[in-house]
Amino acid sequence: MRAQHLDKTYVVAGKTLPVLEDFSLIVPTDTITALVGPSGCGKTTFLRLVGELEQPDRGSITKNGKEEGPISYLFQEPRLLPWHTVLANVELVLRPFGADHHERTAKAMEFIELVGLADYAKFKPEQLSGGMRQRVAIARAFAYPGRMMLLDEPFQSLDSSLRWSLVKAFLRLWEADKRTTVYVTHDVQEAVLMADTVIRLSSRPMRIIERHDIDTPRNDRSLGDPAFIALQAAFYT
Amino acid sequence: MQRSTWISKVIIALSVMMLLGIWQVGATLLDASVILPTPAETFRALARLLSRPPLALQVMATVGRAIRSFLIIFAVGTALGILAGYARPVHAFLQPLLVICKATPVMSVILLAFIWFSSGTVPLFSAFLMGFPVMFVQVEQGVRLISPQLHEMTVLYGFSSRMRLFHLVIPSLTPSIITGAKASLSMVWKVVIAAEVLTVPRYGVGSRMQMAQVNLETAEVLAWTLVAIFLTAVGDMLFLAILKLPKHIRAARASMKEMMR
Repeated sequence: MRAQHLDKTYVVAGKTLPVLEDFSLIVPTDTITALVGPSGCGKTTFLRLVGELEQPDRGSITKNGKEEGPISYLFQEPRLLPWHTVLANVELVLRPFGADHHERTAKAMEFIELVGLADYAKFKPEQLSGGMRQRVAIARAFAYPGRMMLLDEPFQSLDSSLRWSLVKAFLRLWEADKRTTVYVTHDVQEAVLMADTVIRLSSRPMRIIERHDIDTPRNDRSLGDPAFIALQAAFYT
Repeated sequence: MQRSTWISKVIIALSVMMLLGIWQVGATLLDASVILPTPAETFRALARLLSRPPLALQVMATVGRAIRSFLIIFAVGTALGILAGYARPVHAFLQPLLVICKATPVMSVILLAFIWFSSGTVPLFSAFLMGFPVMFVQVEQGVRLISPQLHEMTVLYGFSSRMRLFHLVIPSLTPSIITGAKASLSMVWKVVIAAEVLTVPRYGVGSRMQMAQVNLETAEVLAWTLVAIFLTAVGDMLFLAILKLPKHIRAARASMKEMMR
């Protein structure tokens, strides 16, 4: 995915707010690229442009054949339909792609099992904890045949032990079915554990400060590793 | 919990007895059944009219008008409410009609409708004009409350318009639709009977009320009023029963499945 010379300005209460100015970024196919930057720097705006929820004022986003098409999006909140069960929430997103009800249910159940919620398939979102709801959202994002995955700080609102278990659940699913992923966060630790490339961003208007490609296989990464400590330190200076 | 339900039942019974008592005392003091008959006289009149044919025709005519008006209000109010909630031009276009409906006295609507339509149509038309704004406003406000986050999710996950309608819009609007339907239903009974009183169609509770009043049979006016109250109460109960129906069906299905295992 190639974003070139993006400009995006909002007008808030009569004032112009330039969020992106000549912003360019290349995201290699079938990798996870983490965008790390301060709150309000324009990361979410960039994701919305990639997800075609909004159009840039200038510039272009080009996707290759493998990336073109529907997009799986993981939001900060789970965004589940409260009147539907866990199973129906996942099964619903498969409907536009045909297949009969049994096939869709089987596929939805497969992903619900993968996030460890098989016993909760008939539960409504309100009967689940925050972490479980976000797991359902992860199952939905992976069950949906999105060509790209966009993650907007999906683990941010959870406590740390839950966060790591969700990161692991996400990576397990991702390794089995790699898709070009843009992952927005302000948590450096999460970024260095998950991403192939970590990009450090400035505050608004957003610019790339530095780009780190991480070659260490994900399974061998550890936050205690001196190389990772140094990398994390670089983000905090 | 059970104790408090029991206590409220006793309080309700006491309240009913007190109202009947006040009625009885008032009627005894006035001692003029043309002005205020006693409860006993009223219930005798009720028993008389219940045994006099064609009671079913009278009641069913009113019930039919109320149900038809309610269904029209429900369908039109919901459809236009959804449209106006999403499209500002539709909202703007309907605004004058709503202001007129809300501000016009019920009696003016009924009298004008009587000039324009036959006596059987007047209750339908009047009930629609009075009940429609209630339903419409509730649904339109409900649309504004639909979560933009969930809407965005449905866009990203490729929901078709039909899917969005059935899985986001209608479930989100259900509380507003229920509130609007409840309020317009109770209004429909009152307007339909008022219109029947003024236009005196051949059959109808309102028509009978009017005839009794003309003949100074106050006990019968009150008896027909009791019939109207009963119809409204039954209407509300049926409405609540219909609301609970999907829950009961789901429970029945679940227990069936359990038995099959």
